Amino acid sequence: MFARRLAGHLARGLVMILVVTTVSFFVIRSVPGDPMAARYEKLVEQGMSPVAAQRAVEVLYGFAPTGGLWQQYVDYMSGLLRLDLGQSLMVPGVGVSTVLFSAAKWTVLPVLAGTLLSFLVGVVMGVYAAIRRSGRLGDVLAISGSLLHGVPQYVLALLLGAVFTTLLPILPTSGTADIMFEPGFNAGYIGSLIEYATLPVLTYALASYGGWILAMKSSVVTVLGDDFILAAELRGIKRGIVFRYVARNAILPLFTILALSLGMLFGGAIFIERIFNYPGLGLMLIDGINNRDYALMGGAFLLITVAIIVANIVADLFYTVIDPRVRSGEGAA
Amino acid sequence: MKRLAAVAALLGLAAVTACSGSTGDKPAAGGGSGSGGGLYTTIDGLKPGLDVNGPINPWNPKGNSFIGLNAMRLAWSKNHLTDPNQFYPGIAESWEIAPDNSSITLHLHPDNKWSDGKPVTAEDVKFSIALAYTQGSTAFAIDPGAAGAASEVEVVDDKTVKITQDMDNPSVTFVRGVMDSYIVPQHVWSSVLSADFWDKLKAARGEGAEAEKAREEITALSEKVLAFAPPKDVSAGPFTLERMNPSEALLVKNKNFYNAANVGPDQVKLLNYTGNEQIWNYLIAGKLDNAPFTAVPADVMKRISTTPGNGVVKGYSPVSLGMAFNQSKKPYDNVHVRRGLAYLINRDEITKIASPEGGTPAVTTTGIHQKPAAEWLGADLAALEPYKLDAAKAEEEFKKAGLKKDGGKWALPDGTPWKFTVNVPAPFSDWVSGAKAITSQLAEAGIDAEVVTTADYPLYLKELAEGKYDVGFWLIALGPAPYNIYQRLYGVSNGWSILGGKVKHAEPGKGGNWMGGPETIEVDGAKVNPGELTAQLNSASGDEQKKIIGQLAKAANQDLPVVQLWDYVNTQFVNTNRFTGFPENDSDLLRQPSGVWIQLGMVKKQ
Repeated sequence: MFARRLAGHLARGLVMILVVTTVSFFVIRSVPGDPMAARYEKLVEQGMSPVAAQRAVEVLYGFAPTGGLWQQYVDYMSGLLRLDLGQSLMVPGVGVSTVLFSAAKWTVLPVLAGTLLSFLVGVVMGVYAAIRRSGRLGDVLAISGSLLHGVPQYVLALLLGAVFTTLLPILPTSGTADIMFEPGFNAGYIGSLIEYATLPVLTYALASYGGWILAMKSSVVTVLGDDFILAAELRGIKRGIVFRYVARNAILPLFTILALSLGMLFGGAIFIERIFNYPGLGLMLIDGINNRDYALMGGAFLLITVAIIVANIVADLFYTVIDPRVRSGEGAA
Repeated sequence: MKRLAAVAALLGLAAVTACSGSTGDKPAAGGGSGSGGGLYTTIDGLKPGLDVNGPINPWNPKGNSFIGLNAMRLAWSKNHLTDPNQFYPGIAESWEIAPDNSSITLHLHPDNKWSDGKPVTAEDVKFSIALAYTQGSTAFAIDPGAAGAASEVEVVDDKTVKITQDMDNPSVTFVRGVMDSYIVPQHVWSSVLSADFWDKLKAARGEGAEAEKAREEITALSEKVLAFAPPKDVSAGPFTLERMNPSEALLVKNKNFYNAANVGPDQVKLLNYTGNEQIWNYLIAGKLDNAPFTAVPADVMKRISTTPGNGVVKGYSPVSLGMAFNQSKKPYDNVHVRRGLAYLINRDEITKIASPEGGTPAVTTTGIHQKPAAEWLGADLAALEPYKLDAAKAEEEFKKAGLKKDGGKWALPDGTPWKFTVNVPAPFSDWVSGAKAITSQLAEAGIDAEVVTTADYPLYLKELAEGKYDVGFWLIALGPAPYNIYQRLYGVSNGWSILGGKVKHAEPGKGGNWMGGPETIEVDGAKVNPGELTAQLNSASGDEQKKIIGQLAKAANQDLPVVQLWDYVNTQFVNTNRFTGFPENDSDLLRQPSGVWIQLGMVKKQ
């Protein structure tokens, strides 16, 4: 049963990847603009002679895909089968997969930390907000959640950036780590990594915290009204045990959202990375678009697509594991 | 729930502990690492950001070779107003240029060594020149008939190289082309080129199928050279790259550098940036010892100047901004319309609004920045039409063009309303402000004017080249070489190209001719081919060059393919809290990055 379900998911996922890759291939190549002209302008502006600048730019064309659009598509897809994403035009001579994985770690770590932090705090606060929903604490928590949920990530990032640049300059607002520390498993370097990641993580956590608290509150309130809770209370079951019943049932839908959020890890922090100059996939994608680096853009979209599809599959399978009703088919009834 | 709370508390505690640990053994911000000459912090304005994946390769656009620090040229050009052939020493200690510009003999520093201890030799220079052939250069070009190309590279002795120009098609930029060459260690890069490279080059200079094949082989090498990644940095510069992360690079002093004793800082830290606002933040925080020119709004400039130690050094920048017309489109094909518009634009006001720190209003349109224009043209500059704000003259010009004013609004000769649309790239805030100021000035004079922004610069340049815009902003006056200056007005963008040493002109709207100018224009009642004159600047020298520049300045002034709006000022930021000895205002070193100032022994610890 489980294996058949998994096989079905994988087959659908592969079809989705094929469709998205094909569509994104043609969409990306229809983006207008001439990055070589921009590079030429930059070189002559810096004092290079027009002839030398033209030649320097022509050399870069050697790294661009050749042939007609369909030929390029065939080459790209056959490359994908060999896990070859092509050459980056932005960093000539370096493979797209190298650039992607180099950037990915700087996105995954802070976004993962931000997501888990906001999930943990949001879930706990959501439970309190639901239990104390008629009290002042419940109101405060619900309002704070609504407010933060409504503020876009980039506004929070700009606010935090402004505060920690001018009013309270105690945290770095740009970069990943202090280069003066030798990279490795040493306290100085790890501390520096955490110090530099604090604002991006905090921004991401604050921006998603509102969603978790509101979702958890709503879920708890729904479960509190279920008959089995009433029955448990009538049977005189201890309050702590009832609370566990509530929490376990209320958190189920949030696990699905969490799994899907983790799928968005790779593409979910573009503004934060841009504002804090944090060199993850978002920043790399912006650079790729500005430079019309088709291979890099295609690779980034592919990575984001695969992550979301995998997250969907994991969420679905995970739900069958944690919720016996779904496993037995009751949930579908 | 208790478990959840415990996990949250532990995470918080871990973060706080780690943060406090990280600040405990962190060196002093921006400066004193506690030894020698300290840590110098800057950004590399010549590259679009740092990239840990980039190779240590000066030809790679994202390479981690930083000019003046670990990337060395034969010599460093001075920011001279008119002469592109003046230099400070780099890999070459001294040089002799033949009076007719036919050759240059370079003498290397006798005691210069690579950072791995091996001596820098004439063979390294010759090998680097071979690499330059694969990347394109004015002096080292494989294209037949290329102007200013070298014909021979001769190793005279271990420390002397003589490079001879092909005098069949000479150029005054030959010497500059030679001196701009990067020099890399042959013993590190030797695998990139085959031993028969110079034979191939000789064959490539000929004609026929064999020559074509040789040219293709050399061109094919270009990708190999561009992608080559040495396993570690071996530099003849004052620093070598020690390590990088995606946001910073650390370079340490190269004790083998010929002038190491006079190099102030022990270490250099380069900070990454992805936008101007990050540079502003670094400057406001006092983190940078130096930053090259960045467009800065007036309010940000005020905040930067309040940071202790921050200062500004200004000098000549051979770049101007022009408002270019697409003469393929009506009514901009009519010179009287262009002149009328020039009379309606208040350049003082526009510069004050758009580029108060980084520009000075253009005195008139000559195609040259006003400082070299004064040198080149002398008293003739004052004789040119200044196009000062004059609504009456504008009206007179518009009437000559057949435009009609109806109900206070200008219309085309056939009575249809005239819509003046100027395009600018959205990310260039100073250009957008300038364009908006222009449209509001034109609107006051009865012209229906609007600004249209384009999403980014690559798209802007593409659409501009396709002739989609009526009017757009365009960088001009890119000196100091006179040919480079005037090819912005009378080069490919206006239809002229040089093929096999011959000048050709493409019809307006074709062959890259987006400015849409005709092949000949009328100057003082006589027909002039400005593209031909511009091409002659390649080989003309002395008085002949001055005469041609005078003709072209007059042509640009009367024909107005662009209205020159403002001349850029090289505005550098320095902070004297940690280091001193930065160049003074108007220094001829201001266009070189601070690595060159350091290697020349100027920058010292405070």
